[in-house]
Amino acid sequence: MTPDGLFFTKQHEWIRVEGKMATEGITDHAQAALGDITFVELPARGKQLTQGGEAAQIESCKAAASIYAAVSGAVAEVNRALEDDPAAINSDPYRAGWLFKIDIENPEELGALLTAKQYDQFIEEA
Amino acid sequence: MRKTVLDDMHAALGCRMLEFHGWRLPLSYSGVLSEHERCRTAAALFDTGHMGLFRIIGKGAAAWFGGIGTQNAAQLRLGRCRYGFLLNDAGGVLDDTVLVRLDEEEFILIVNAGTAATDFAWINARLEGTVRLENLSEAGWSKIDLQGPLAFEILAPLVDSDLRALAYFSAFRTRLRGGDCIVTRTGYTGELGYEILAPGAAVRDLFQQLLADSRVAPAGLGARDSLRLEMGYPLHGHELSTAHNPIEAGLGVFATDSHSYIGAAALARARAGGTRRKLVALMLDSRRKPAPGDALRAGGEKAGEVTSGAFLPSLACGGGLAYVAPSFAAAGTELHIVSERGEWIAHITEKPLYRHGTCRKKLDL
Repeated sequence: MTPDGLFFTKQHEWIRVEGKMATEGITDHAQAALGDITFVELPARGKQLTQGGEAAQIESCKAAASIYAAVSGAVAEVNRALEDDPAAINSDPYRAGWLFKIDIENPEELGALLTAKQYDQFIEEA
Repeated sequence: MRKTVLDDMHAALGCRMLEFHGWRLPLSYSGVLSEHERCRTAAALFDTGHMGLFRIIGKGAAAWFGGIGTQNAAQLRLGRCRYGFLLNDAGGVLDDTVLVRLDEEEFILIVNAGTAATDFAWINARLEGTVRLENLSEAGWSKIDLQGPLAFEILAPLVDSDLRALAYFSAFRTRLRGGDCIVTRTGYTGELGYEILAPGAAVRDLFQQLLADSRVAPAGLGARDSLRLEMGYPLHGHELSTAHNPIEAGLGVFATDSHSYIGAAALARARAGGTRRKLVALMLDSRRKPAPGDALRAGGEKAGEVTSGAFLPSLACGGGLAYVAPSFAAAGTELHIVSERGEWIAHITEKPLYRHGTCRKKLDL
């Protein structure tokens, strides 16, 4: 069940928006498709991200994948705990498995993202 | 696509499947990491029904096989298994195999899935005298592997013979629920374990019976790959092919000059003249996963190429196998892996990378 209140991308990222801060991760659908995640490379704090640009890399037992920024802005914080133990991305993708936080530069970009309902529809059609 | 006799059972278990050399096979059930862990700590059950099972039988079989494969069949003791190769005249690897001597003139040859058909034709074309080659796989036989430190105590009550008597790389014919089967104490994981060869219906029964034991978890090709890489075992198509000979693969001990098999002369030359590359195991200083084709560099110089890579769960780092020029093959050598996804540091490491495997454990009291 995709949680309400988040924004989603067609590349299977989610963000939770609190004030000017967006917390980003990958969806439950994405973690299930990747299988056991074994490695994550997170962006440096302060790095300027562009909406749709590459922000992080993930490797699983089966695949390697790029993670794209859902919105533009500087990286405010990263989930360092994942570097030694990325399993939380599989077990709790919407909470403990968050990847990084972005200082939202332009709130209008949120308009390009999907709601939970739209995302569920998107993966059903795909 | 070809299916093993267990295909419907994998579906019922919710297994994620993949295609491997024309076969539909289990990739993972609960997840590669947990399946790997189960094999290292308890027992994992693999469907290996895709592998080719041949029987070589008839007067003169032992002497004849010695002219074909690198295993010295005439010297192999009854009830023993031996790893080896089918080679072309240039010493290139057609396939890597396990030869099992069941009787004076009766052998089982276990071969890879992708090469089973060509192996059969190749061997068949070389038959002589009264020696016969039978394709047990085509006759409905299949195989499952039970691997892990608890494999003995789990399997022992289910077979009619004393499993304790079976030493590493030994085999016997026994009865399993009233039918004939062959059990070998071999595997591809580094753990204590058995391969059970039997007619399809008996394999289905045993698979179900073993899974009913809560200590056993089914495991797929994902875990099979990370387990074999932690041991430094080669995989045909990656480390072994007609472009490689056993000497450069570091497997010369399985292709000695004790007898005159096909490719022996070429191997003697490779042994005497040295090889231009060597197969080595690598460990990364990170959790990154190298991939086949990733370049290895030392300074500005090209040192070799990765042939297999994975995250190694028991070691919590990336690792794999690679061919490198001999000058870079010493353990401890630091190399850079240059991948599309970045550049990482790796060290050549002695095999096996994982040193706590139970495969050689002595079971006699």
